[in-house]
Formats: sequence, structure tokens, C-alpha cells
Amino acid sequence: MDFETGSLPRNMLTLWPIQKEHVLGGRPAEPVSFQEPDLVNGCRQGNALAYQQLYKVHGERMKSIALNMLNSVPDAEDAVQETFVRILRSVGAFKGEAAFTTWVYRILVNACYDMLRGRRRRRPELQEPETDWGSIDYPAPAASDHPLRLTLEKSLRKLDERQRTVFVLFEVEGFKHREIAEILNIPEGTSKNVLFEAKKTLQRFLAPACRPGGTSHVD
Amino acid sequence: MSIDCKNLEQALREGEQGTAGELVQHVEACASCRERIRSWEEISHAARAMRRHWESPTLWDRIERALAAEGTKSRFRRGWGASAALFSVPGKRWFALAAGAAFLFVSLGTAYLLLRNSPRPAARLLRPDPDFQKKILTENALREIEDSEAAYIQSIEKLSALVEPRLDKNPTPLMVSYREKLMLLDSAIAECRANISRNVYNAYLRRELLSIYQEKQRTLQDLIKEN
Repeated sequence: MDFETGSLPRNMLTLWPIQKEHVLGGRPAEPVSFQEPDLVNGCRQGNALAYQQLYKVHGERMKSIALNMLNSVPDAEDAVQETFVRILRSVGAFKGEAAFTTWVYRILVNACYDMLRGRRRRRPELQEPETDWGSIDYPAPAASDHPLRLTLEKSLRKLDERQRTVFVLFEVEGFKHREIAEILNIPEGTSKNVLFEAKKTLQRFLAPACRPGGTSHVD
Repeated sequence: MSIDCKNLEQALREGEQGTAGELVQHVEACASCRERIRSWEEISHAARAMRRHWESPTLWDRIERALAAEGTKSRFRRGWGASAALFSVPGKRWFALAAGAAFLFVSLGTAYLLLRNSPRPAARLLRPDPDFQKKILTENALREIEDSEAAYIQSIEKLSALVEPRLDKNPTPLMVSYREKLMLLDSAIAECRANISRNVYNAYLRRELLSIYQEKQRTLQDLIKEN
């Protein structure tokens, strides 16, 4: 996968194990390269190390996606945990039609959707959790901050699930439309259209803020 | 082709803004489109700042526990599974295989030798023993014990029928180790039964046989879980 902050070759996950299980004969372990099929096989066999490697490589990105979809750190971590359990349950049915990592992110997105639906069932009066954005213990942005970020986060809540997901995957996480299409099981053109509509809507919300020195009307 | 503001919309939809020369010319000339592209790109820049990283020191432990709990219902293994990972590490395969086999042989061999070299029950019976009568079974007790042994054997046969095809189908190092352990247990059972046939009323031998049956049953159950 080709991400903005670096690139991971599609079928090669370079892993640096730190687990003592990898130290043989008292010598420090060498870096281990797992081909994606090895990772899939490890997960199929229920190998704890395979799951740990998957977490090491994709855990941060999974957490970030879940947080931007769920707006809650504990919920995001629960979604990542649920994703791993679902991988264990269904990896036997993984046929390799898509890349394994794409399949993993599809499970994550579905886990987030299920959590959002669960929230609505529990609190039907709320479309989205009423988050106090000023007071929550929200992790600091990884990249240098942007004056529009907070307003954008608020505006994002007003998009529908699919628009928000495509926006988060493309604009925030740097996935390509081809990958998003695989993750969401939609045509690539649909991914482009959904992103366009999402950004158009956001542009409307953010119009005053986008002007130099302006403030938005988003509450 | 005449370029107008509608072309910009199409280009934004396709994610190709700024690539076509004529479109660039139009954007340079059209303040409205220029402003639109500026705010469009502003959103993309702000979105990059939404990528989050935070420490979750307990998350992997939670995941591992959840996987282990799920694994009791399916295939996740923390102990043997983790060790088995070594077998898939390129270049370390032979080492891990040899180490695993050596460890297994040493531990099982030691257990077997201890079992063999412990004082023979038959020899003990030759010595004067104040509790001699207690160690000798009555006819009734013997029947009860033989019934429970038969139940064990039946249960073990059922488990074996489930496990044997899997053992044959998966010749992994783990399965080979299990097969060797089962062979060892079978040999211990055969020896114990041979001793019992010479002294059917010996309670000590019966207890020993029962414990070996239990061990075999546990091993077969573990094997079913592993699969």
C-alpha cells in the first residue's frame, strides 16, 4: 500500500520482531520479513505472533480510522479489538480475492458501522454522540496541526456514513480510490463520486472558515 | 474544447484538478474557480492533520485476551501456537524443528524412564506389607473398576476416531509430537495391562492404569482443541 508517510510494498510487510520468542540461542533476532501469504497463514492457524505483527503494522492506522469514524477513543480501541476477533473468526473464509490488508480494513470499517448502529439503537434520539470537543481527552494530531482541523472534525459528523468513511480513508489516511473500492466493496468511480460529494458538502459548511481570517458556522 | 467552470467540477470529481493545460489556463483566468480550488485543497490539507496517533499500552493485551477467549472456541493458540511461529521463520526452520523435537524427546523420555524404573508393584507385593489386604481388591470392587475402565476405553476410542484422521492429514511438528506422546502412552498402557493380567487384584496397578488412561484422554482432548 502506498501511504503518504511512507510506503509498504503491497505484498511485503517488513516486520521487526521484539518478542523474546524470536530470540534463538541467545542471539538477537534478525528482522523478519513476512510475505503477506505467511501472515494470512499465520492468522489462519491462530498464531498469536501473526496477529501481533498485524497489530504492529496496522494498529495505529486502524485506531486512527476508527477514531475519525466513532469520535471516541475508547470506542475506537474497542472497534480495533473487535476487528481482530472478527479476523480470527473469519480468516478461514478469506479467499484472497482482495489484498489481506484491504480485507482487514473492510472488517474494521464494518465493525465501526456496527458500533454506530449499536449507539443509535441504545440512544435513538442521537444521530451522533454529543461529544464535547473542547474537553475530551482527544489525542493530539500526529502531523502539524491545521487551523481548519477542529472545524473540519465537527463538519465531518454531519456527513452520512459512507461519505465520512470515504473522506477519512482517502483524505485522512491516504488510501487510493482503488483500495477504498475494495474496502467498501463499491466501484472505483463511486468512491470518487462519494468523495466529491463529501468535499462539496464540507466546502459549504466550511465556506466562511476557508476564507483567510474567517470562522465557520458549524457548531 | 471550450473550458468553463463546469469542466472544473468534472475535474474535481475525477480528482484530476490542475492536470489539463487548458483547465489550468481557465483557473488562472477565473477568480471563482481559483477560490474554489484553494478551499478544496485547504480541506485536504486540514484532513491530513486529522490523522491521530496515541499510546494504547493496554490495547494489545486486551486484544490478545479477546483472541485467546475466542480461541477456546476456535483456533487461537498462545503457547504452542506462538512456538509454532518459529517454524515459519525463514532460515530458522531446521533449528526450531530440532530444538522442539529434542525438548519433547527429553521430557517424554525422562517421564517414561521414571515410570519404568519406579519400584515394580509386583515386587512390592512380595515384601511384607502391613496394608497388604487393603491393596488387594475384592471381587465386587474389581467388577466396578473394570466397568469404569471399559467406559474410559470407550471414550478414548471415540476421541481417537476423531483425532486420527487429523493426525494423518496434518503432519506438522506439533502433530508429530502428539503422535509420539500417544504412542508412548499406548506402550505404557500395554505394559501396565500385562502386569495386571498377572495380578488382577492389584489396586496399585489399577490406579496406575487409570491415570495413564486419563492422561491419554486429556491428550486427545487437547489435540481436538488444537485442530
